[in-house]
Amino acid sequence: MAQRAQYLGRHNPEISLGQKIWQLNWGMVLLVGIIATMGLGMLYSAANGSFDPWASRQAVRFGIGMVLMLLVALVDIRFIFRVSYLFYIVALLLLIAVEVMGSIGMGAQRWIDLKFIQLQPSELMKIAIILALARYFHGVSQEDIGRPAFLLVPLCMVLLPSALVLRQPDLGTTGMLVLASGAIFFCAGVRLWKFVIVLISGLAAIPIGWQFLHSYQQNRVLTFLDPEQDPLGTGYHIHQSKIAFGSGGIFGKGFLQGSQSHLNFLPEKQTDFIFTMLAEEFGMVGGLVLLSLYLLLMIYGVAIAVRSRNQYGRLLAIGLTFNLFLYVFINIAMIMGLVPVVGVPLPLISYGGTVMLTVMMGLGMVMSVWLHRDIKISRRGVQDDF
Amino acid sequence: MSDWREDRKQGLLTNLRNPQSPKAVISLDGRIRQALEVGRTRLIVAGALMAMAFVIIGIRLVDLTLLQGSRSNTTSTAQEIDEAPPVQTRRADIVDRNGIVLATTLPTASLYAEPKKIPNPEIAARLLADILPEISQDKLLKKLSSDRAFIWIKRNLTPRQQYAINGLGIPGLNFEQEQRRFYPHENLSAHIVGFTDVDNKGLAGVEQSFDTALRENDAPLELSIDLRVQHILTEEMSAAMQEFSAIGAAGLVMDVNTGEVISSVSLPTFDPDSPGDAPDDARFNRATLGIYEMGSTFKLLTAAMALDEGVASVYDGYDVSKPIRISRFSITDYKPMKRWLSVPEILIYSSNIGTVQMALEVGTESQRKYLSNFGLLRTASTELSEVGTPLVPSPWREINTMTISYGHGIAVSPLQMTTAVSSLVNGGVMKPATFIKRDKDYVPAGRRILNEKTSILMRDMMRLVVLHGSGRNADAEGYLVGGKTGTADKLKGGRYVTNSRVSSFVAAFPMNNPRYVVYVMVDEPKGTKKTYGFATGGWVAAPVVKRVIERMAPLLGIQPVHIESADDSGNSILKKAKARMEGRKIAAR
Repeated sequence: MAQRAQYLGRHNPEISLGQKIWQLNWGMVLLVGIIATMGLGMLYSAANGSFDPWASRQAVRFGIGMVLMLLVALVDIRFIFRVSYLFYIVALLLLIAVEVMGSIGMGAQRWIDLKFIQLQPSELMKIAIILALARYFHGVSQEDIGRPAFLLVPLCMVLLPSALVLRQPDLGTTGMLVLASGAIFFCAGVRLWKFVIVLISGLAAIPIGWQFLHSYQQNRVLTFLDPEQDPLGTGYHIHQSKIAFGSGGIFGKGFLQGSQSHLNFLPEKQTDFIFTMLAEEFGMVGGLVLLSLYLLLMIYGVAIAVRSRNQYGRLLAIGLTFNLFLYVFINIAMIMGLVPVVGVPLPLISYGGTVMLTVMMGLGMVMSVWLHRDIKISRRGVQDDF
Repeated sequence: MSDWREDRKQGLLTNLRNPQSPKAVISLDGRIRQALEVGRTRLIVAGALMAMAFVIIGIRLVDLTLLQGSRSNTTSTAQEIDEAPPVQTRRADIVDRNGIVLATTLPTASLYAEPKKIPNPEIAARLLADILPEISQDKLLKKLSSDRAFIWIKRNLTPRQQYAINGLGIPGLNFEQEQRRFYPHENLSAHIVGFTDVDNKGLAGVEQSFDTALRENDAPLELSIDLRVQHILTEEMSAAMQEFSAIGAAGLVMDVNTGEVISSVSLPTFDPDSPGDAPDDARFNRATLGIYEMGSTFKLLTAAMALDEGVASVYDGYDVSKPIRISRFSITDYKPMKRWLSVPEILIYSSNIGTVQMALEVGTESQRKYLSNFGLLRTASTELSEVGTPLVPSPWREINTMTISYGHGIAVSPLQMTTAVSSLVNGGVMKPATFIKRDKDYVPAGRRILNEKTSILMRDMMRLVVLHGSGRNADAEGYLVGGKTGTADKLKGGRYVTNSRVSSFVAAFPMNNPRYVVYVMVDEPKGTKKTYGFATGGWVAAPVVKRVIERMAPLLGIQPVHIESADDSGNSILKKAKARMEGRKIAAR
């Protein structure tokens, strides 16, 4: 077998821990560090030039996240493969638990209070669904994927948590779950016409689903369609956000100088609208720099996905990268008035513990895919060295 | 996990390992390879989609910060407000001593019509009447269908009205940009600030006297008024007016060291935004323009001139047991004491008989000289144009000297009285009253009119009046208030009417180092059950002064004190003077 591997010109996929650390994507780690540091700077500014109450706590979380990311990166991908479904089931149970006993926060049931951290299972589910789907689609043939019955199981795996999250109600997370799953379906090779069918049936369901939306959710969508109709009500946030962008100009007003944010015209400036604040204080240049950093991070993710020799790693990497992309895209598009206000934070920048930890855990998994790119995984999660 | 797919997959994998079935290897390899190929293409597509989405938000970012940014700069951004040039208004603001705006100018629009250009006056009138409900539809129609080339419809529209009328799009209706004077605190300082006409020409108060300066300068005119004290005085005086069913009231607070008027209130008052709606009585400034016989508060001045001239000392006394008769008049006391009273006691018990005797010793000429020095014989020179000219007897006979000594037969404005009492307690220096804030470094030296010693003795005696006499109701604890009551019957049709009077109280505090004089006068108060039917200065005006001092002192940074010895000098004077009077009593027997 070793002979065969040699014959095919492959190096030994199994590498030692020392090699793993050596081969780790340190460029990616640096990128994450730069983005998170920018985030801490903005949180410092959001508190009017104070480390309290946000920047200091976020720094601790980032430290923990960094360690977690590196640890996850070193974990054997076959182990991740084996626990994929378990992780999904745990996340699903937590989601149900929130539904049952979750504490009420901001008018929506989203957290489980674990005393030391307020856990948001919906954030965990974003990773769990990717893990589960990647495992499901691992190593299946085009024929299998072509059969509609084969797709029923993963469809249910997506719809069940989506419905739970929608009930919370959290439109943004639901959208992200569906879209990230869609990306995995797509990359797994599901035929395009099936997406068209799902899209059409989804559109057909809108009038029915509309009735189930909360009035504030309906308002958000209506406001998105016509933000000027109510500049002091639901359209206020986006209006103020756009003013902040405009007042930032090319180079911005300077650190701690953003009047829109510091005079509290911007809502939630430490979470959802932090990019607006960045654009006000550092202008278009600052915004583009951050966007470029994110883009670079995603190029890493896609490259890792392309380079991975096993289907699981490939789907996992692209799924997690796409998930990160969705965070960034929805958040920035939202505050610039391109999509409705749905309450999605900016990863690594916005204040918030669970998001920071899950995003960094996801990035750790992507790195793990890189470190184990040449390992073959059987359907059961053991190396099948043929 | 051992479903049928899993089993089959395992089977295939076993086949793969079995060299006997190469066909299976090929087929599996091919299928998986195919899946991998599709997957790889789709990965690239997914990556490209993400990149495209990033390009879109990147473009949007540029759009918002650069293109839309410059557009929204013209509407309303915080940045624009920072950099906007100051609005040029034709008339300068008027502010109080702390910079609170009392009068400002706002740009407004006025609506006029060119009736000949209006195609359908009936419809136009109906639409306009909805927006301007204060003008009747008939009146509007009459204006809109008149044959004049230009006619005003309404001056100074609200922005909302202007927007609505603009929205009607009726040809022939046009706006003229105008400036409108606006008084944010409405009637609170109406009599001092005054008002302007529709063309922003000052018609009253400071608006009138500083009309030119306000037109030519950009810097706001700083008044000496403290709006907080103005509010306190207005509130307390209004309460007293209501309680005693009075027809009016006047009040002043003056800084004794600078002559600045900190507060000047005349009730009833009016809204300077629409002065035409107020009756003449409300527009009349009782505090500066009104002149009144002051009554017993004048006794302070008589005592001061007697002490200053040296004709009497604080220990001297006078026999007040018998009324003074002069020709057909007789001067009596409100509360006859039937004994000798020392000078402090004359003030404490407010004895007319004693005061008259003091004045006679001072003499007519000296009395005139002193009253002239106090500024009571000519029109007060201050910035307002509403200042009353005092009524002074001419010729000035002995009988006038006698009545003037207790505040009758001469009428002065409350402003003049307040100024005179200020010089009485500030060490004896006359400082002209002003309504304009004085620079701390530039306070006029004033003119010495009394010896400093006289002033110090007067402080003690004013304090004694509040401690033991008719001014007890003004004793705001901790502020060492001193003062004097005054109750004057009003002249109606040439006769004094006993039930129609002016009750006042003049106070200074704190008496160890006087800072402010507070003067309150209530016009025609009626006694209540609470005051046992009394409507004199001690019952009506003194409590107002007390409450005003209690509320204003903390605002002006004067701390209440408790000094055991504070009243000692006054009390020892009184004790010594009383002892002397005991002696006199025995001697008289």
